[in-house]
Amino acid sequence: MARRRSQSHAGRKADQEFVSEAEEILERMRLDLADLGDQRAAGAEVDPDLVNRLFRSAHSLKGLAGLFGFESIRDLAHHLEDILDGLRLGRMPLDSPAVGLIDRAVGLFASLLESVGDAKAVAAASEPVAGLIAEIEAAKGSSAPKSVEFKQLDIDPSLLRALTEYEEHRLRESLRRGRHVMLVEATFEIISFEEGLSELSTAVREVGEVLSTLPAPGETSEAQIRFSLLVASDVAAEEVDALFDFPDTSVRVVAAGRAAAPSTAEQTEPAPAAAAEPAPAAAAEPAQPEAPSPPEDSAEVGSLKSISETVRVDIRKLDELMNLVGELVIQRSSLGELIGRLLADSGTARIGGEFVKVHKALDRKFRELQSAVLEVRMVPLRQVFEKVSRVVRRLRLDLDKDVRLELRGADTELDKLIVEELVDPMMHVVRNALDHAIEPADERVAGGKDPQGCVSIEAFQRGNHVVIAVSDDGRGIDVETLRARAEACGIVGPDEVLNEKETLDLIFAPGVSTRREVTETSGRGVGMDVVRHNLTLLGGMVDVDSTPGRGSTISMTLPITLAIIQSLIVAVDDQRFAIPLNAVHETLLIDPDDVQRSEGREILNLRGDALLLRRLSSEFGLRPVPAESKQFAVVMGMGESRIGLLVDRLDGQQDTVIKPIQGPVQRVRGIAGATELGDQDPVLVLDVSAFLADALGRREAA
Amino acid sequence: MSESGAAPANGERRWDVLAREAAQRRDLGSEPVELLQLLTFELEGAPYALPIECVREIVRLRPITPVPRMPEDVRGVISLRGEIVQVLDLRRRLGLERVDPGRRSRVIVVHGGDGRVAGLLVDAVTEVLSVADDALRPASGEAGAVDELCVRGEEFVSLLDLDRVLAVDGG
Repeated sequence: MARRRSQSHAGRKADQEFVSEAEEILERMRLDLADLGDQRAAGAEVDPDLVNRLFRSAHSLKGLAGLFGFESIRDLAHHLEDILDGLRLGRMPLDSPAVGLIDRAVGLFASLLESVGDAKAVAAASEPVAGLIAEIEAAKGSSAPKSVEFKQLDIDPSLLRALTEYEEHRLRESLRRGRHVMLVEATFEIISFEEGLSELSTAVREVGEVLSTLPAPGETSEAQIRFSLLVASDVAAEEVDALFDFPDTSVRVVAAGRAAAPSTAEQTEPAPAAAAEPAPAAAAEPAQPEAPSPPEDSAEVGSLKSISETVRVDIRKLDELMNLVGELVIQRSSLGELIGRLLADSGTARIGGEFVKVHKALDRKFRELQSAVLEVRMVPLRQVFEKVSRVVRRLRLDLDKDVRLELRGADTELDKLIVEELVDPMMHVVRNALDHAIEPADERVAGGKDPQGCVSIEAFQRGNHVVIAVSDDGRGIDVETLRARAEACGIVGPDEVLNEKETLDLIFAPGVSTRREVTETSGRGVGMDVVRHNLTLLGGMVDVDSTPGRGSTISMTLPITLAIIQSLIVAVDDQRFAIPLNAVHETLLIDPDDVQRSEGREILNLRGDALLLRRLSSEFGLRPVPAESKQFAVVMGMGESRIGLLVDRLDGQQDTVIKPIQGPVQRVRGIAGATELGDQDPVLVLDVSAFLADALGRREAA
Repeated sequence: MSESGAAPANGERRWDVLAREAAQRRDLGSEPVELLQLLTFELEGAPYALPIECVREIVRLRPITPVPRMPEDVRGVISLRGEIVQVLDLRRRLGLERVDPGRRSRVIVVHGGDGRVAGLLVDAVTEVLSVADDALRPASGEAGAVDELCVRGEEFVSLLDLDRVLAVDGG
């Protein structure tokens, strides 16, 4: 019984693994397809990388499905791969009916994935798969590639023969588009040619596309090597030449493009002009029939290889690794303490001194290990951004609103765990912006705005935090309505005086929604409070800023990693607490006389600014110090807000791994978790955002 | 569950129990009964028990870090090989007098039905007991954390309902 359960469990796990991986691929495909559609609709040239990427996705999906034994998915992926291969090699034009079937195939994949694990559903799906495959086959036959002759090219036929099918397709495509095609020839020292070549390629890519890189014949000394880069560009050859600052490099026109006046190009022919006379066409002729080379051309092999060089790792394994590193951190601090004891005793001070050296060396290596492990967990925000843009695409249609999405900072990196947890809150904020904030086009026009709305998401790093700001140029938050809603919900009394910021903060209160109707897209009054809650769990916080009629910005501030962080250890009533150092601005030793009072609150004059003080002893019901003794103020903050926390003692900084507290009590306000220091007993880690919210929040004000 | 899984140290009592069960079975002419294994422990000198399958481990007392703002029934947290686990004062939880832990005090680490881990501070752990399920009697009076009473020789062992024990206010 138990065994059977565990087997089916293993099977389910494998299925899940397959589904999650396949979904990832499908998601990429959907994005690429959407981009492809956009590019075609805009009449722009389709980015060849896009088609290549689609091809590789289909290829990966095929392999994956084969590996896990999902035959219908594999077969369909195989046919899809065929179409895409034909597309990228130019065997099939983009307007071929087969291309239209890609969308449907992707849709079918999605429903196939849903049926994984359900044998009946899988069997039921085999019919539409077979049907679609037949359609693909039929459509494929009907499309024939366009041919563009290479006859007029001024190029060595042996070079043309060396082109792969894909390269040839790109050349044909460039000619068809009327781009300038040129041969960039360069000579490099053998010992450093890789560097030189990559520099040159990079420079070329700024003005055009490198169709092919080929070793070139020609006189060179033994220590040198020549390369020819076949380049297509919208910029004429001599301009390209002028851009380069490489010695021993020449640019030669192969085919003048339509974009610039061809005569100019001919008149100002660069260096080896002899070969550049209008094409002795016959020379190029033999190239054609022999040109196609096996499809596994070098570029293709290269890119598939780069995929296989990444390893997918279960995040839990990384967590385990992280835990081990965390335990090492603890061991290391115990070692430091032992060394301190050795040094303190004159009898062992000498050996203690030697220990210090070893410890330091170990410490350095240790830090490297630590940052390497942390690095592995870091992922760019791009994935979240991609998900968001897909949702926005769909919402645009559902809501029938014209909204532009601007994304900045997709390369900003965050801990994988945080990125995962970020998706929901972020989606929520973006949905709100589209659904509630952006007005219908006629309303926008009436308000003198661009009929097209704009939602922008910007991510950037600030110290140990990443800030993600979602802004819209919509109607802004109506503070009157918000206030009325909050009063109706009993969150704020009718006589309570709130400043603007406090009023805006009401959107984070449970049950307050600024729009009366419940919509399909955005929630029903639970929303921003959940966003705040989720971000708080991640050790972050959320801020809102809004101007009526102009739009709002929701800023989410998150720590870069949840793993190992530096903490300031403080003590109150002899109990120690850790405060994440990334939230600590400074510490001050203050005299009881420095503390002033206002409306029952304690404040400190911090270089002219009023700093709100809180006593950790009274917050946590611990024994306070005698009134006359000095205390330390830990100035801590996140985003724009800061407070001073009064403690009895500072115990230095330590590396800490914040762990969740397990047990029947789920959450304790003000405590983010616990950590172990060298001496094994747990030390509680303060939740700075909760302290800030409680101290600065309006409810505590009175 | 094995049929003779009682701790060897309790051989005598086990036979006693088995014999009693056998007798009861014959009396009732009923089907063979299931055996339960219980971990028994002491609070204020009285025997209590938990089903063995919800016990993860038993650890000696170590420094407990008090946690502010927690319900009083929670003594604080301890570290178990890197895991931070709350420790419930089982005496307080059951409305008994709170005392400082002594030399025999132990923390029973349990996992509840929902997978939550918790430590239970008890005065002493006594033994593992195998009983037939027909040795259980419903607890009288209003429902506290004691689910059933288990007959052990002449005395009753209070069998706790773990989920109720772990249902701390604010949890």
